[in-house]
Amino acid sequence: MSVKYTPVQWNRNKWIYDAVMLAGVAAFLWVFLYVTPEVLNHDRAINPQIHNARAFGACAFVMLTVILCIGPAARLDKRFLPLLYNRRHFGVMTAFVAITHAGYILNWYFNFSSSDKYVGLLYANSSFGQIAGFPFEIFGIFALVCLLILAATSHDFWLKFLTPPVWKRLHYLIYAAYFSVAAHVSLGILQDQQNHLFTVVFMLGAAAVIVLHIAAWLSERGEAAAKDGAWAKVAPVGAFRDGYAKIAKLANGDRVAVYLMEGKLSAISNACAHQNGPLGEGKIIDCLVTCPWHGFQYDVRSGRSPAPFTEMVPTYRVRIEGDMVEVHPDANPPGTYVEPVPIPTPPSSEGVTA
Amino acid sequence: MDVAQALVMGMQTWGIVGALVAAVFLTIGIDRIDEDARGAYAFRPLLIPAVLLIWPIILWRWWQIESERAAWAARYRAVRAPYGLAVCLMSIGIVVIVFTGLSVRQTWPAGIAPVQLTKGASQ
Repeated sequence: MSVKYTPVQWNRNKWIYDAVMLAGVAAFLWVFLYVTPEVLNHDRAINPQIHNARAFGACAFVMLTVILCIGPAARLDKRFLPLLYNRRHFGVMTAFVAITHAGYILNWYFNFSSSDKYVGLLYANSSFGQIAGFPFEIFGIFALVCLLILAATSHDFWLKFLTPPVWKRLHYLIYAAYFSVAAHVSLGILQDQQNHLFTVVFMLGAAAVIVLHIAAWLSERGEAAAKDGAWAKVAPVGAFRDGYAKIAKLANGDRVAVYLMEGKLSAISNACAHQNGPLGEGKIIDCLVTCPWHGFQYDVRSGRSPAPFTEMVPTYRVRIEGDMVEVHPDANPPGTYVEPVPIPTPPSSEGVTA
Repeated sequence: MDVAQALVMGMQTWGIVGALVAAVFLTIGIDRIDEDARGAYAFRPLLIPAVLLIWPIILWRWWQIESERAAWAARYRAVRAPYGLAVCLMSIGIVVIVFTGLSVRQTWPAGIAPVQLTKGASQ
């Protein structure tokens, strides 16, 4: 079984998502450049290059703030999940907006001397020993490099090639990038700001990111602590619906999809072997669960794709303690058959959802 | 100036090595290590920027896959442990840098009438 890579996997939802995002970027730039110069106090005689640089810089900050809010918001409230699924396009667009900002800066402030403009950027201000007048450009350069790495590694291929743990560690750069952007703004444009509106907008954005992430982290920590131990609780037996899964988050952060199929429980890794799609969101048809991303199928009892395909995912042991379904956090090697566990009284086909 | 020039030269060298790695990886290596990439060419140019930026990691993973050194369970191990640390460091850092930035902000002397300091040569 193989799904060849394509440059971008479009579907109707992604088209809509991207269209809304692009319209939002265009609207932001238009409002910033032509509607609110006096409100944001940049109506003084600045040239188009500086005007555009500020517009794209502000836009990149807002986009990065929204991106960083989507993740924790989706973890705290599942209604935000649709925003999460196409976030990588948002990230790539943010990198383009940020690089446009950098381009305007570079081609205005550092472009009219005999020295190379990149050398000029690094050389023009070297007051690293003081806070006022600190070369804030260095924070912008670092953030831009981070954004470029994240955007450049956003294709599905990189997730599979680097493996999710390496990819995820690499993408933790987003937090360093956001701090760097905050430093870039605080020691840069904020020093020259006459009007406090921009300062307030900036601080509210940064505060939203901080509050949402801290809240999501505390929420996850509470769940993980509750599930710490040899066996992890998944859900009460009555919460399962035939043909569907409940996704358990283990103390180590791993996700396990526990399915009810014909009155019996089986558990496999929630990550598809193809490109780590969320198997737990798939439905069982003819004993096989289908990954919602690319249609890869697995037998939930063994974690194996049907012959002649060879994909495999790890399986987990399941047990029922009282009314609670539990899963053992130690994964079996991919493709290991585990005898399904019958539930005491199978629910009706209508089932009950949690 | 010397340091700045050395940094720019270092980045150029990094990019040149990345371009060489990209040329080999995207024409030979990718077909060896990922069957989903065999016969798929349109997406490969999209991979070039990543190779230019993080080619040492690409080479490391390529070597890992070719030599089958990675443990099977490693790719299923979720990485959530550093999340709390990353979030806390980012949050503290932002609060500190914003207040530091605001504390050193200088007030523009608006509303002060201009004062002629010298009479000038012509007077």
